[in-house]
Amino acid sequence: MSALQRALLAPGLLILVGLVIAPIALMAVESFRPFVGGRVGAAGGWTFENYTELIAPAYAFYFWDTFRIGFIVSAAAVGLSTPLAWQAARTRLRIVRVSIFGLLISLLFLSLIAKLYAIQMTWGPSGPLAFFGALIGVPVRSPGYAEVLVFIGLLHFVLPLAALMLIGTFQNINPRLEEAASSLGAPRWRVAMSVTLPLALPGLLSTFMIVFAMCISNFVVPLILGRGVILFTTNLMYTRFSDVANYPSGAAIGVIMLVLSCSMVYAIAGMARRVAQGRG
Amino acid sequence: MMRWRIAEDYAAVVIFRLLLAAIILFLIVPIGVAVILSFDDREFIGAFPPTRFSLRWYRAFLQNPNYLDGLVVSLKLGLAATMISIVAGAGAAIALAESQWRGRDVVETLFLSPKFVPTVVIGFSILGFASAIHVFDAFTRLVMGHVVITIPFTVRATLASLVGIPRSLGEAAVSLGATPWRAFVDITLPLARTGIIAGGLMAFVLSFDEVAVSLFLTDAFTQTLPIALVAEMRANLNLTVAAISTVLATLSVIIVLILDCAAGLDNVIGRGMYRG
Repeated sequence: MSALQRALLAPGLLILVGLVIAPIALMAVESFRPFVGGRVGAAGGWTFENYTELIAPAYAFYFWDTFRIGFIVSAAAVGLSTPLAWQAARTRLRIVRVSIFGLLISLLFLSLIAKLYAIQMTWGPSGPLAFFGALIGVPVRSPGYAEVLVFIGLLHFVLPLAALMLIGTFQNINPRLEEAASSLGAPRWRVAMSVTLPLALPGLLSTFMIVFAMCISNFVVPLILGRGVILFTTNLMYTRFSDVANYPSGAAIGVIMLVLSCSMVYAIAGMARRVAQGRG
Repeated sequence: MMRWRIAEDYAAVVIFRLLLAAIILFLIVPIGVAVILSFDDREFIGAFPPTRFSLRWYRAFLQNPNYLDGLVVSLKLGLAATMISIVAGAGAAIALAESQWRGRDVVETLFLSPKFVPTVVIGFSILGFASAIHVFDAFTRLVMGHVVITIPFTVRATLASLVGIPRSLGEAAVSLGATPWRAFVDITLPLARTGIIAGGLMAFVLSFDEVAVSLFLTDAFTQTLPIALVAEMRANLNLTVAAISTVLATLSVIIVLILDCAAGLDNVIGRGMYRG
């Protein structure tokens, strides 16, 4: 390694160690400290209490909500972005392709807060789509509707990303295979079900995992659309810190979330490797 | 038999198109509603659609010091974080792309890892760390947090732009008598330019829209625009936010149009292996 390369690498490494590794290590240490009301920073002694108290049903509930909603949204996002991605990948018209790209990328660049505001104004109590709540039996003004709003908000947030990832998947499936099935007499829905979808399965799965990881680590959507009824673990962590100033407990939640998200990434990477080997 | 299959195909196409239309409407309609509401002349949030239109909420936005201060902080923060993460991230990416040593892959993974750390965890851990090292200035803390969330993007974009460029180009320059510094400035940097610009753009957009990290690191005097907006939306819904959302939506469309003119959206996404 040359001197120049070392000099180029140094600022980045400094940032990694100083702003990622050290703070997280400090947080991990803090998570084993007992909580002393009214103080931030180290108190004496060590304890597991910050972790054990999270097993209590009152807290386990947040984890359950987070994972349940995250799972449903991810499944819906993969299901609904598939037609969009397939259309963009297969259309012969350049204008259709570029319009879908333009729509997805504009949505990606659009501020999440602006999106959530737009959803609140559209699906919320005074919005033109408020009747949807009555349609599915959850009145707009009932507490249960918060979950519907969080669901819509998360879906709107992850759908463009899922679609962009899946466009790559469908583009790399040879269209000749679909044409062959078609010319052998299979109706279109059979082609989709027995040729396209099985070939796209690895891509669909990894998209699902990535979207799921994004959903369960989301903070803003439940904060704004959850009306305090739906809180994710991320929101719990923030409340532990902002309302009760219980830094050690927040740190314990942070460590758990970090472990969860690392294992998720590990699983995704493992899956990607297996798929790559299967093809190679 | 044949006729049955044609009917089946026809039904499948109709259902598929309807589904596609529903999905696109789901994505677009809320944005349209917010844009229309931002021109509402009414004092309160009434039934949709509005009956009279005006620019009052845009004036309200321009007269509200909270939002304007937030906008200034967000712009300054975005620029500072982007500059730092370009210098550190692009530099690291170039060093990584040009070298092969043991542990190189581990370092690369480390640089991309903040992407997988939930943003609340980043905000929370930096807050604790900042108070441990006695940094209490909100803007400094914000820059620290935003550098962490943006650096994976500058590293990744720069690395991507250097893939496939032979290392021998820089070595050739050196063997012809250029200093390593000169080879870096004249050869490597221009080659990495598109990646650096793309990464910087992503970093700025990400920083400008960040809520979770900022919420932990702001204080009463230094607020970013998103934090001011979130506070407003949680307290009471008013239509100033609609006006700001419309401005932001217009900006994102402009970015995409520029991207399309500069590189072509088709090329940004790539066409895949079965399309010429």
